[in-house]
Amino acid sequence: MNVHDLKSARRQAEPFPPKPRNPAPVWMAATLAILWLIVLDLDISFEALAYGVEDMAEYFGRYGNPDFTNLSRYLELMGITLATALWGTVFALLVAFFLAPLAARNFAPNAVTYRIARETLNFMRAMPDLLLALIFVAALGLGPLPGALALGVHTAGFLGKFFAESLERVDKGVCEGVASTGANFPQMVMYAGWPSIMREALGYVLYILDRNVRMASVLGLVGAGGIGLALHDTLRLFDYGQSAALILVILATILIIDYASAWLRGRLG
Amino acid sequence: MSAISIQSVTKRFPNGFEALKGIDTEIQSGSFTVVLGPSGAGKSTLLRLVNGLETPTTGEVRIGGEAVDGHKLRHIRSKVAMVFQQFNLVDRLSVVTNVLTGRLAHRSWVGSVFYLFRQEDMGIAREALSRVALTDKAWSRADKLSGGQQQRVGIARALAQRPKVILADEPVASLDPVSSEEIMTLLREICDRDGITVVVNLHQVELARRFADRIIGMNSGKIVFDGSPEQMTHSVLHTIYQREGIEDDNSLDMALAYA
Repeated sequence: MNVHDLKSARRQAEPFPPKPRNPAPVWMAATLAILWLIVLDLDISFEALAYGVEDMAEYFGRYGNPDFTNLSRYLELMGITLATALWGTVFALLVAFFLAPLAARNFAPNAVTYRIARETLNFMRAMPDLLLALIFVAALGLGPLPGALALGVHTAGFLGKFFAESLERVDKGVCEGVASTGANFPQMVMYAGWPSIMREALGYVLYILDRNVRMASVLGLVGAGGIGLALHDTLRLFDYGQSAALILVILATILIIDYASAWLRGRLG
Repeated sequence: MSAISIQSVTKRFPNGFEALKGIDTEIQSGSFTVVLGPSGAGKSTLLRLVNGLETPTTGEVRIGGEAVDGHKLRHIRSKVAMVFQQFNLVDRLSVVTNVLTGRLAHRSWVGSVFYLFRQEDMGIAREALSRVALTDKAWSRADKLSGGQQQRVGIARALAQRPKVILADEPVASLDPVSSEEIMTLLREICDRDGITVVVNLHQVELARRFADRIIGMNSGKIVFDGSPEQMTHSVLHTIYQREGIEDDNSLDMALAYA
C-alpha cells in the first residue's frame, strides 16, 4: 500500500466488519439453571438451616470455656504437627525439584519422559492426603511419620505441577540464549530454568508449607500423631473445654504462619 | 576455506509458511558478512539454522566440514555462538554467571549445575568481560544493566565459548544509535583480531555499508544480492527491499532516498 491508498482510506470511513457474537449471557443462564436443578435434585432445604440456627448456637456455646491447664502439652503437640508439616514440605520440594523440569514441555528431553513425569505428578495430586495418611498409618503404625509421608506425596504433586507450569512460562528467548551455547538438559534446567522462576517457586513453597500446617492438624484425626490426635480424643470424650483450647492453639498457630509467610513473601518480592 | 557452507536449504514451517526457498552459499572463514533484507525475508531463520535452533526442511548446513544435525548439536554449538536481538540473558543471574554460561558445552553437568567452574573458565570469563569493558559490572544482576551493556554481556558470553563463528541476529535493533555503533565496532574488532567468522543480520543499510566485507541481500526466502558493499547500488537496494505485487512503491523510494 502506498501513501495515496492510506489517504483515500481515511476519507471514506468503511463500516466495521460484523460484530462477533458474545456467548456470555447464554452460559450464565445455563449455569444458573444447573445450580437450581442441583438444589431440587439433592432436596436441599434452606428452611432446615433456618430452624437449625438455634441448635447450632447452643452446641457452639459448649465451647465457651476453653481449658488451658495442659497448655505446655498442647504446645508440644503443636510442635510435632509443625514438624510433620515441615518434613512433608521438604519431601514434596525434593520430589518436585527433580520431576518438574521433566514435566515442563519446553525443558523435557523427550515426549516419553514428559508424559511419564506429568502423569506421575497427576497421580500424586489425585491421591487425597487423608486417604494416603490412612494407608500409611495402616502400613507404618501410628505417629507423625505416616503423616509427613502422606503430606509429602500429595503436595509433591501440587508443587511439581506449579513448578512445571512456571518453567513452561520461562521466556523462550532466555531458553534459546542458554541452549545456543550448547548446554545439555541439567545445565538448561539450572541456568535457564530455576533462576528465572526462583521468586515464584519460593512463593509456592511457602503456600504449600502453610497448607501442610493446616492439613497436618487434621491428619491427626486419622491417627497420624500431633495435635489432631489429641483433638480427636477430647472430642470423643465430649471434653468441650480442652477441645476449645486445642482449637484455639491451632488457630493461633495458623494465623502466625500466615502472617510470617506473607511477611517473608513481601521481603522476597 | 569456508567456515559455513549452506547447500540448497529450504525451510517450511508447520503453518505452511515457506521461510527459505533454496539457499546456496559459502561463507569464508574470518570474514564479516552482513545479511540485509525486509522483515520476513528469512534472515533470522537462516541464522538460526546455522546454530541448530531450527532444522532445515531439505538441504544441509555444514560448519567447517561438519553437518549440523540433532545428534551433534552440543558439539556444533560449542563452536557457533549466537548473539540475539533481545540479548536473551538470564535476568536473575549475575553478569559473570551469564558469561560463564558460554563454557557449559565444554564442561559436564557435575560441577556446572552447582554453578562451580574451574579457574581456567573464570580466566576466560574475566578476559571476555574485559574485552567488552564490563569488568566493574561483573557481580551485578544482568537485568540491572542498560540495553547496550546487556548486549555486550551477550557478546562476552559468545566470546567465552571460544567459538569459530559468531552469529548475530539483529544485535542492534533494540539499541540507540550510540550503543549500536559500539556493538558493531566490537563485533568488527572481534572478527579482525581473533579471526572469528561473524555473520550479522541487520536492518540498517548504512551500518552494513560501513562494517561488512560482504553483503548478502535476501527477499522472500531467496538470495537476491551477494557482493561487496561497493557493489550495492541504489538499484540493488530496490531489489532487496521491493515488496511483492507493488510496482510503483512510493514508500520504498522515500525510505531508500537517504540510504
